[in-house]
Amino acid sequence: MSVLTEDQDVAAYAVAVRRSLVGLSQEQVDDLTDDLEADLADALADERRATHGQGLVAQFGTPEAYAAELRAAAGLPTADRPASRWERLFPDPVEQSQRMGRRMLGWLRSQAWWPSTESFLVALRPVWWVLRAWLVLQVATAFVLGPQRMGLRVGGLAEWVVLGGLVVASVQWGRGAWFQSRSTRWLPVLTNVVAVVAILPVLATMSSRATQAEDVYRAWASGAFNGGTQTVYEDRPVDGVVVDGIQVSNLFVYDAQGNPLQDVQVYDDRGRPVRTTFDNGYDQFWFPESTEPWSFVPAADADGRSRWNVYPLRGAPTAQFEHDDDGSPVLQVGVSASTPPWPFAKAPALAGRGTVPAAPGDGAVSASGEPSTGTSTGTSTGTSPTPSGALSGPTAGPTP
Amino acid sequence: MDTTQLLKGVLDLAVLAVVADEDGYGYDVVRRLRNAGIEEVGDASVYGTLRRLYSSGALTSYVVPSDEGPHRKYYGINAQGRAMLEAQRKDWQEFAGTMARLLGTETVR
Repeated sequence: MSVLTEDQDVAAYAVAVRRSLVGLSQEQVDDLTDDLEADLADALADERRATHGQGLVAQFGTPEAYAAELRAAAGLPTADRPASRWERLFPDPVEQSQRMGRRMLGWLRSQAWWPSTESFLVALRPVWWVLRAWLVLQVATAFVLGPQRMGLRVGGLAEWVVLGGLVVASVQWGRGAWFQSRSTRWLPVLTNVVAVVAILPVLATMSSRATQAEDVYRAWASGAFNGGTQTVYEDRPVDGVVVDGIQVSNLFVYDAQGNPLQDVQVYDDRGRPVRTTFDNGYDQFWFPESTEPWSFVPAADADGRSRWNVYPLRGAPTAQFEHDDDGSPVLQVGVSASTPPWPFAKAPALAGRGTVPAAPGDGAVSASGEPSTGTSTGTSTGTSPTPSGALSGPTAGPTP
Repeated sequence: MDTTQLLKGVLDLAVLAVVADEDGYGYDVVRRLRNAGIEEVGDASVYGTLRRLYSSGALTSYVVPSDEGPHRKYYGINAQGRAMLEAQRKDWQEFAGTMARLLGTETVR
């Protein structure tokens, strides 16, 4: 080491030591360090030192440690520098929590039950290291891809690779193997803080998806993760009428000749009215090629009760509704309910009952006289499509 | 046994003894301590101790200008320091004797 660089090193080291003596007055710092350069140079030049020939940090430790030692030996307050007025008014939250943590730990360590608990917790630390990596992955996912992409399930090779890397980094830091230098030490500390802060939000998100986890299991059971399609099993059949997995808002009925029928009451095999809507007219429905949403009105029977199983449901664009005193939607005065556009003006005519020509002898189907029109409808209870006879019950016009 | 911990308690005494022997500046005191066999003490601890003893009035201090190198701050012992040294020396010898008896050795004294 040349004399010149040695001088520079000494000067830099002395500057770092002085900078580390925070919280002392300039006078105190000067008093503590006025011979610092000379003393350091003497020490470096001393050939009888056991550590002669090594660098400054190797001989004296880090400037921070040197400053702390100097300060402690001089009997000056060490870590807890006197607080300024500003700091008394607005205490540094990090410092406050550190102090509180130290006090807490001191109290805990004075408890008889603590040592065994502590050793238990220390044994659990690797769990936290892994959990920490997973939390960071979740937070990163939420930030980069959006919160919807967070999930208990680690999906995809990329996510596994990232998680693996995070776990390695986290565990290595936990074991004290990585991120120990001053320049990188802040990174895991920051990550730790983020992970601790993120615990509650992430767990809250996860618990709100506890039900989804069930779906995930079902999806897995149905082979969706292996590239298959996902089959969703519902515990309860969806209310209403479903065709091809899509809920139906209205039914259109044609007679045997294929002529459209108005005001057809539909019941299932147990006499229950077959309804497509359950909101008593509040909801809005879109039809194919409609430009505005529609709402429906019920039919009224002879007793004045509303009947929602009379098809096609009649209604009007939602804009033409107003709300009565009860808040129920009613049609505005002067507007009458009309039938939404029919899918076709005329359906194919039937050739005859029970003698469908092309149908092979399929008892179950032929018994119900399945119409061969394109408007096959299935009801919620799985009953056969409605017979297309010219039923006309006690119908009533739609009430305004 | 980690003698660093032991030294902390008696570093004042050691530094006083060295300075009482002859006035000295920072690293000079360190070197003399080392020569006396006290190796484990850090330089900074010695400098801090010198500063503290000076502040408490046990040492005097004066700057010696130098033609080649930097000016040096020398420390010397005063009456108060000598009194402190004597008291601590006595305490130490009693304590060392007690420890020696306790440990079953009679090498001290």
